[in-house]
Amino acid sequence: MTTVIMRTTARAIVPIILVVAISLFFDGHNLPGGGFIGGVLTTTAFAIVYMGFGLDFLERGILGRDVDPGKEPSRDRVVLAYRRLFAYGFALAVASGLAPLLFGKPFLTQTFEMLEGVPIYDHLEVASALAFDFGVYCVVVGGLLTILSVVGAE
Amino acid sequence: MTATPVGTASTLVIAPMLVVLVAAAGTLLLGRHPRARTAVSLAGGAGYAIAVAAIDWYIVLAPDAPGIATYQVGDLPAPFGITLVADGLSAFMLTMVAILGIASLVFSTRHLPGGEGRSYYFPLFHFLALGVTGAFLTGDLFNLFVWFEVMLMASYVFVAYSGGPQHTRAAFWYVTLNLLASAVFLLGVGGIYATTGTLNMADLAQRLAEPAAYGLDPVPVVGLLGLLLSVFAIKAGLVPFQFWIPTAYRAAPPQITALLAGATKKVGIYAIIRLSFTIFAGAEVAVDLPLPLVGVAITGDSPLPFVGAALFVMAAGSILLGGIGAVGRDSMEGVFAYSSIGQVGFIAIPVAIAATAAGPELRTFAIIAALVYALNHTLAKGLLFLAVGTVRSATGTSRFADLGGLAKRSPPLALAVFVGSLALVGIPPLSGFFGKFLVFDAAARAGSGPVLVLLLVGSLLTIAYATRLWNRSFWGARTDAVEAATVDPVQIAILVGLAVAIIAVGIGFEPVYEFAETAAEAALDTEGYVDAVDPQTASELAGSNGGGH
Repeated sequence: MTTVIMRTTARAIVPIILVVAISLFFDGHNLPGGGFIGGVLTTTAFAIVYMGFGLDFLERGILGRDVDPGKEPSRDRVVLAYRRLFAYGFALAVASGLAPLLFGKPFLTQTFEMLEGVPIYDHLEVASALAFDFGVYCVVVGGLLTILSVVGAE
Repeated sequence: MTATPVGTASTLVIAPMLVVLVAAAGTLLLGRHPRARTAVSLAGGAGYAIAVAAIDWYIVLAPDAPGIATYQVGDLPAPFGITLVADGLSAFMLTMVAILGIASLVFSTRHLPGGEGRSYYFPLFHFLALGVTGAFLTGDLFNLFVWFEVMLMASYVFVAYSGGPQHTRAAFWYVTLNLLASAVFLLGVGGIYATTGTLNMADLAQRLAEPAAYGLDPVPVVGLLGLLLSVFAIKAGLVPFQFWIPTAYRAAPPQITALLAGATKKVGIYAIIRLSFTIFAGAEVAVDLPLPLVGVAITGDSPLPFVGAALFVMAAGSILLGGIGAVGRDSMEGVFAYSSIGQVGFIAIPVAIAATAAGPELRTFAIIAALVYALNHTLAKGLLFLAVGTVRSATGTSRFADLGGLAKRSPPLALAVFVGSLALVGIPPLSGFFGKFLVFDAAARAGSGPVLVLLLVGSLLTIAYATRLWNRSFWGARTDAVEAATVDPVQIAILVGLAVAIIAVGIGFEPVYEFAETAAEAALDTEGYVDAVDPQTASELAGSNGGGH
């Protein structure tokens, strides 16, 4: 799959996918979108990079690390990072669900705040659901990328 | 929107779930520190036990307890938000699972299957507990589906955990079957939403009781309930949905199999009782199903007779197939897996009697019998599967061909297994005696001769396979594997603890019976359930909003 066509296409569409994923993520609590869909879309961007440039590209090409080609994929540092992302994301989602209890509200209660007079945007909605959504986003990205890179290597 | 006051009783409802969630997150974060991971895990288990005990006392058993408490997740009112409900039935089930869960958790700290997945064992354990707990507490049909999925996701991994070809094969079957079951569940849930316009269980019960007031035709609900029943029967492992049990139970680590048999099976039973009796019993549907082939006609004015008839057939099949299958197995867990199929039949028989009962008295009594039997099965089968784990970690095998003479090698182990087997058989003064006694009594009160004969045959089969297991593995000449065995004292202590619990339930049966009675009354109290949840209509909400934000 690592053809010139694939690589050129990947260069063009990966940034677009990531931007769309981020915008879907921020829309989530009012419109279709959210942590799950944003996360899945982000993962597809990574999948395209993997397909176009190979499994080691992230570490060697972007992070500038040395990689032994023959080693266990699940020991990769980047895979360990995915796993940590999963764990931290889950912890964040749980913590954001528990936070309302401190204010005497039920588990998972959400609220929002309107910021007026913000430059360019004029008004900006800051929703507490974003914290939970970000947790979900991390779980999805971390989980799917772990599966993708470990199973992909086999 | 008016803020819902969060009282202590109300927050208690969600407490066990929060404890498990935090424990799952903690064990995930501590993936690289085995000691800390184990400590967090055990602390989570202890917290869970405390939370369940608090629910038992403050919501159900205390003299001034309300008997039922609800929790609206996210401060959204019922039926729009997710409702959690803790009543006698949920509390009884949670208590059962908490006892076995703690035993299995402590056991896991002593005998953790190795390999790559080790750091995920405890998070998965807590996710499994989370799914079971959520299923017992939720008051929303779709949410029940979600908790089933949570439970399944964790159990998929556990079935495949050991990583050998036979485990992968078992997991493949298990996943395929359960995906199918999930699809059927979703179909049933969708159909019920299309028919009644709600998925909140209390709202559902309310609408089905007065279909005319809500302008709906409840007839399809009988068939949809049938769809849901088949899904719950798969979880419970009733014939004809039992075929996944032997392979899956053999593949999963024994301490998880103890939970699969003791907890997730009971989720199936719980769902059958909750939906059939609390929710659908009040539905005004004329059921008229003539079955000329067997010469019986199923008639009635609620879906219950239909449920009863279906359960009778499935339970009878389970008792016979499970009993006969268990007699011929060649390994300990094989015997116990088939035994689980048979024992679930013994739980389903009184549920079927309750569904077809003429009066409320017999109905309550039969549910009590089912609950007591379920408790006994959880304790006894939990103990026996943990004993399989002990035998395996001591001798490296659980096949009869390689075992023999265990009784003299480790008398406490033998004693614990002896108590567990006798509890299955139903010898006084163990918990199993009362379970069997109540089931027989319910059948006698219902005046059903064939059912009594069936129960008798099932009991004889239980004696046969329990004796055979005992002869093959505990008596006889010691084999090399048994000779070289090293038995872990903590594991033995857990087994002995469970055996003591079985004896204690039998000797101090009075409070257990009262708890089961409270649970059975809660299961049949549709009105109390609806009142506690108090589903609002959209117009009521608009009124209380007073113009909104």
